[in-house]
Amino acid sequence: MPPGLDNLRHIVVLMMENRSFDHMLGSLTAVDPRIDGVTDQLSNPDTTGALVKPQPRAQFQGQLDPDPDHHFPAVDLQIFGGDTSPTRVANMQGFVKSYFNQQRDVGHSQKIMYYFTEQRLPVLTTLALEFAVFNRWFASIPGPTICNRAFAHYGTSFGRVDMNLLYVNEPFKSIYDRLISANPKHTAKLYYFDTTSSTMEITNLLENQPELFGTYPQFLTDCSTSNLPDYSFIEPNFNDHDSDSGEEVASDQHPDHNIQAGELFIASVYNAIKASPLWPNTALLVVYDEHGGIYDHVVPPACTPDQFTASANDTGTGQPFAFDRLGVRVPAILISPWIPKGTVVDGRVFDHASIPATITKFFLGDYSPRSPRETSADVFIEPNVAPVDPTRNLLSLTAMRDDCPDFDV
Amino acid sequence: MTLIHVPRPDVKSAMNPNRPVNALLKAQVQHLHEAERNLPLRRRTDIYINAIKTEGEAAEYIRRVTEAIHEAHEAAAAKRGRGIAIAAAEGPGDKAPSASRGKKKSKGKRARKT
Repeated sequence: MPPGLDNLRHIVVLMMENRSFDHMLGSLTAVDPRIDGVTDQLSNPDTTGALVKPQPRAQFQGQLDPDPDHHFPAVDLQIFGGDTSPTRVANMQGFVKSYFNQQRDVGHSQKIMYYFTEQRLPVLTTLALEFAVFNRWFASIPGPTICNRAFAHYGTSFGRVDMNLLYVNEPFKSIYDRLISANPKHTAKLYYFDTTSSTMEITNLLENQPELFGTYPQFLTDCSTSNLPDYSFIEPNFNDHDSDSGEEVASDQHPDHNIQAGELFIASVYNAIKASPLWPNTALLVVYDEHGGIYDHVVPPACTPDQFTASANDTGTGQPFAFDRLGVRVPAILISPWIPKGTVVDGRVFDHASIPATITKFFLGDYSPRSPRETSADVFIEPNVAPVDPTRNLLSLTAMRDDCPDFDV
Repeated sequence: MTLIHVPRPDVKSAMNPNRPVNALLKAQVQHLHEAERNLPLRRRTDIYINAIKTEGEAAEYIRRVTEAIHEAHEAAAAKRGRGIAIAAAEGPGDKAPSASRGKKKSKGKRARKT
């Protein structure tokens, strides 16, 4: 069996906020043409009809204010360019139009096309070039945060496409419940930054199972003392606040929070794992929950419908949604010392339902019931069961790397 | 092994607790408010969430309700361990909180500056 899978004991997922693939990693096409990012051929029309090209002018803060709309109707406009006909085809031509709707300012609306250069994001781009970057990881829903994060926890949003309260319908258990209820028992934890940032998974998990949660300092301790659970899900700091130790700048990268604070946080998570005795036994996925209304050029593909349907009233578009199309593409990077440097995962489609799908298959094997979306989702780590397909296994090295980078956090 | 330099943000300009609360934090506050309604009275805040306008105000509310949820579960577990009926001890008719409870320092606060 591949030693990377044989050694794997812990999977950690860090989910950041609201940035598209092209915005964060699009510049890497110039470094490695296998990475499907920004090219000169791309554009969006503004409301005067002029074509606006992606430009490397993204700023760390103060540029995407107001927060670009990424609720279901706005994302529908971004993906379909405003075409509401029954025969419409997704073309990713409505991002500038959508942002214009918020301020009626043509110049400002063009900023939705801006992206970061490689040098501006040394952490994310280094990790993408050093480990495995996914060319086709999409948000699960063309909509906002809460319903997309639900897919990471449950493999479904139980029919929701919005930010409203999400009450879990049995029989689809959270990935945490599946693990801690298993026989033999597994361990799982959600680490929020601190109680002042708290979690986005309140209604079901925090309210009813607060024992599942830990803080980021506890994560750091669990890394250094080799006490990581089998599965960890990390949430960044969602707000600016004071703490006993000083000012805590939001690190989630949600517009208009500071991008560099998020870079530091990602580096801190990576460093904690890499410095841990568990580094040979741990894989880290860094992924964003959705695109935040920011431009990406890849058309989200159709997917297996979920067993739920959002009503026309709930979508706000006048049309129901059967969860049969993914959301906009987001950055996703898998990190492990068993992954060859410069891996680009292409030709396979992932979304956040891939997270519980992967964790379940790796730790529990066959498990049911799971949502149709999760059941059909691809996995980013192969189950360590013979035969392992070498063309799919990303932890493919026969010897662990000793050249992985460090960050001076 | 390569050491990558990570630039730090200027905290003075990055930090803005007076920033208007965004849609995500509004939703988080709303969800916590729903959870708060299930807490015993004495563990509830006296914060009117419709008046929360800034990120700093949202952060304070988020902290207080998150701590209260943890404390309510810990209290219930402790009483369960002592064999006392939880419903009687943690019912919604409990007395209002003391003035100092809401100012309790977070047990889980971070010690990392960005």
